[in-house]
Amino acid sequence: MPENVNHISPPGWANRFLEWYCAHDLVDEIQGDLLEAFYHRKDEFGLVKARWWFIWDVMRFFRPSSFGKRSYNSNQIAMIRNYMLVSLRNFSKQKGYSFINLSGLIVGITACLLISLHVLEEITFDSFHPKADQTYRVVMDMFGQGELKTKSAPVYAAVGPNLLKDFPEVEMATRILPFGGGVYSVKKTDGSLVRFNENKAVLADENFFEMFGFQLVDGNAQSVLAQPNQIVLSASAAQRYFGTQNPIGQSIFWRGTNELKVTGVYKDFPENSHMQFDMITSLQSWDGFENFIDNWGWYDFYTFVKTPPNVSQEALDEKLATYLDGKKEEFYAERNVREELWSQKVGDIHLYSTNLSWDMGENGGGEQIYFLSIIALLILIIAWVNYVNLATARAIKRAKEVGVRKVVGAQKSNLMTQFLVESFLYNTFAVVISVLLVWILLPVINSTMDLTLEKSILFGSTILTGLLVLIILGTVCSGLYPAVVLTSFKPVAVLKGKLHTGRKRFGFRQILVIFQFTASITLILGTFLVVKQLAYMRSQDLGINIEQTLVLQGPSSGSSQQDLTDRLRLFRAQLEGMPEVKSFSLSSSVPGIENFAISGFTSKHYPQDLRDCYRVRIDDRFMDQFEIEIVAGRSFSAEMATDTSAIVMNTVAMKHLGFNSPEEAIGEKINPSSQNPWTIIGVVDNYHQATLKESLDPVLFMYNRRERGNYYALKMESTDYASSVARVEAEWDKLYPDNPFDYFFLDELFDRQYKSDEQFNAVFIGFAGLAIFVACLGLFGLVSFTAEQAKKEIGIRKVLGASAQKLVLLLAKDYALLIFIAIVVAFPLGYFLMQEWLKGFAYQTDIGAGIFVFGGVVISLVAFVTVSFKSFSVANNNPISALREE
Amino acid sequence: MSQSLGNLEETVLLIVAVMPDEAYGYTVSEAYHQHMGSRISISAIHTVLKRLEKKGLIASKMGGATAERGGRRKRIFEVTKIGLNTLEQIQNNRMKLWNMMPKLNFSS
Repeated sequence: MPENVNHISPPGWANRFLEWYCAHDLVDEIQGDLLEAFYHRKDEFGLVKARWWFIWDVMRFFRPSSFGKRSYNSNQIAMIRNYMLVSLRNFSKQKGYSFINLSGLIVGITACLLISLHVLEEITFDSFHPKADQTYRVVMDMFGQGELKTKSAPVYAAVGPNLLKDFPEVEMATRILPFGGGVYSVKKTDGSLVRFNENKAVLADENFFEMFGFQLVDGNAQSVLAQPNQIVLSASAAQRYFGTQNPIGQSIFWRGTNELKVTGVYKDFPENSHMQFDMITSLQSWDGFENFIDNWGWYDFYTFVKTPPNVSQEALDEKLATYLDGKKEEFYAERNVREELWSQKVGDIHLYSTNLSWDMGENGGGEQIYFLSIIALLILIIAWVNYVNLATARAIKRAKEVGVRKVVGAQKSNLMTQFLVESFLYNTFAVVISVLLVWILLPVINSTMDLTLEKSILFGSTILTGLLVLIILGTVCSGLYPAVVLTSFKPVAVLKGKLHTGRKRFGFRQILVIFQFTASITLILGTFLVVKQLAYMRSQDLGINIEQTLVLQGPSSGSSQQDLTDRLRLFRAQLEGMPEVKSFSLSSSVPGIENFAISGFTSKHYPQDLRDCYRVRIDDRFMDQFEIEIVAGRSFSAEMATDTSAIVMNTVAMKHLGFNSPEEAIGEKINPSSQNPWTIIGVVDNYHQATLKESLDPVLFMYNRRERGNYYALKMESTDYASSVARVEAEWDKLYPDNPFDYFFLDELFDRQYKSDEQFNAVFIGFAGLAIFVACLGLFGLVSFTAEQAKKEIGIRKVLGASAQKLVLLLAKDYALLIFIAIVVAFPLGYFLMQEWLKGFAYQTDIGAGIFVFGGVVISLVAFVTVSFKSFSVANNNPISALREE
Repeated sequence: MSQSLGNLEETVLLIVAVMPDEAYGYTVSEAYHQHMGSRISISAIHTVLKRLEKKGLIASKMGGATAERGGRRKRIFEVTKIGLNTLEQIQNNRMKLWNMMPKLNFSS
């Protein structure tokens, strides 16, 4: 390189760039002229301008004529064109293999893409809130006697406002109280009543719409919830109550008597939020709101905070952990309990908020996402492996092409490029088709699997970048090995026809097949397990008979409690007169609906500690009607006046409170030191309040003298449920014109809890099936190829008297060994993964040998059918046609 | 023979013709600026020179290097016989036309 004579020089990078692109024989004149121009210009126009001018000139010279005629230039383009042409010719020459190859890739990439869409949607939940990264939900761990007892999603009423006061790290705090449920009604001008039972109704602090990214259609974010008795409706709720009328300023009655003014309407919450509210009432409307700031006892408040950008979650958690100690010190010391606050990012709630009690929405599923991602990756790898296998198998056929290319002077690098170009074409084509397929299939998949995937995500930057990476990765992963194999052929040997094509027992290809089938078998085992687990959960005895039970949502709208009690008596008498109603009972909770009623109790074994138990108020029919087994003592009785202070408990509660046997518990007191202790009169068997994913909870039953009930459960016996329900509704409308008639069949409601499991099963089975399909596709291609190769051998054997069966066996036995090895590898691996998955369930089916036997048989059958399908046709060919061909 | 020449090509050819032994990229561009009043980038000059050379109107040889060129040699251009003829022919054609110009009297 020539030295610059001056210290003052043009920008070095521009100069080097020029030297890099400039053809060798042009560099003298071009660089010389530019340097000379720079030298003169810097005197005339100044250094800065001259430098810019130089850069500009260098850019202007950056054009093909300056590159000169380097060897890679036009020739390279011509060669790439040729590679593409040859790829296409090969494609059409061997349509079968190419089709198998391509369809494998397409299925793999489509599956991967669909799962990615789902995963992407799941992980972006609640990301639309302003400063979502700095928005946290404060939750609470509750310890008793040093042990973690409960993890609670809601916290004390006082936490929000006090954090705002005490923590510089908290800029904003919002509480949500999930107790807005019940009947809402609107009086129409014609005197009629529009009424609905709402269960997605909450109360919230006035800054709700500033904290979250939910859009108000009507009303001002700062003022819609600023006063007591203000309510904001979702657009669909507004439509439900007011139709086309403008709802702003209208009155809506909660539970018949509380008048609320509609101050705003918001767009229905997007699907990708864990919060789904139909109506939000201002928190000030709640009686005693003024005292919330000092209420460190009532913990039903979901509390969200925003921090400034420079505050990390660790720093926040560190301060939160000890915060309550300062507030409730005496209480803690007295009861030997503790509580620790901690935080969750709002975006993490949907996927990672598991094991929290009283959570909002259906959260969790982080591990499902994890398993699905693994499946997606597996399918993709299996598809790429197919490509590798088929491409190398075909290598023998293409050896001549490679030989000729080498003889006429192709370098190894040229041939590498050729085969990489080929795999690039395959991968790109597959990706394009897959995107189209997903585009077409999405509505179908959404409706069959009950998902809400959006087409728009498909063309978002994340997916597009992903696809680009996929193409590049696919090109390299699937193209590199075949390229290496193909380019390593010795041209002379190939052209003389002396290519060694002996069947190796454990070549790379065989190892790949083992890998594919290991993955497939593991997926099959997984499929059997998820199906078995769901069936197991459903078949378990719930400890309660919920069949043929019609449940009515108890009325909440009435002029007074007495009014509701009076009406209930009449309603009950009417229904009990109906022949199809076998029994009628009232309760505060039914299985399948989350029970929020929980509080601490003491017993003689735990005189100091508060032991948390769920409370259910039932009447004297409940136990009989639901066929809950009484282990000891008795249930409530209408004849016993003292039963209002009696308690019935399940066996979990019995142990939880320290009693060793039901007999010991009977006659003992609950809360013995209080003024009104409860007497234990009975112990009943446990029943499942929720699905078998959850463990059994301690439950205390209190007596309800048929005065009220959140749920009216009717045991029915009917041949025509539709008309029975209609008759019940007619009675309801006579007595409760101000309350909507909402009902469900208990077994259906309970089963609905398994919806997400069913979804996961469907997705899992579907994709596992795809994975197996792709693997078999590859196996089929491979077998076809081997059979093709061994055509002559088979012909000779046949002429010498071998039977078709023997020949099939000959071809199949190599693969049988591979499948066997795959089974040996997959079984322990599958066992390990299955155990991991089962840990998420409180009640687990045993994995059992059956799954393995069945899985092994299925995969062997599928593989055998695949292998013999082609082998038979080859073995049955006329040997002459194979032998004559020379 | 007659080569069709663009305006810029003709100008550059003329410049090369009037500066024997010292016509190369930079000097031509400077001369262009000096005589024509407007600037044109060195890369454009190179293109034109190359095109003229291809048409056989100018020829080039490698000249000496100077320090201010960073030790790079110059490619020095000189007009060929054909180039000169072409220039002359253009000039003649133009002169013929000029001579045919009627004496217009704009003052009347």
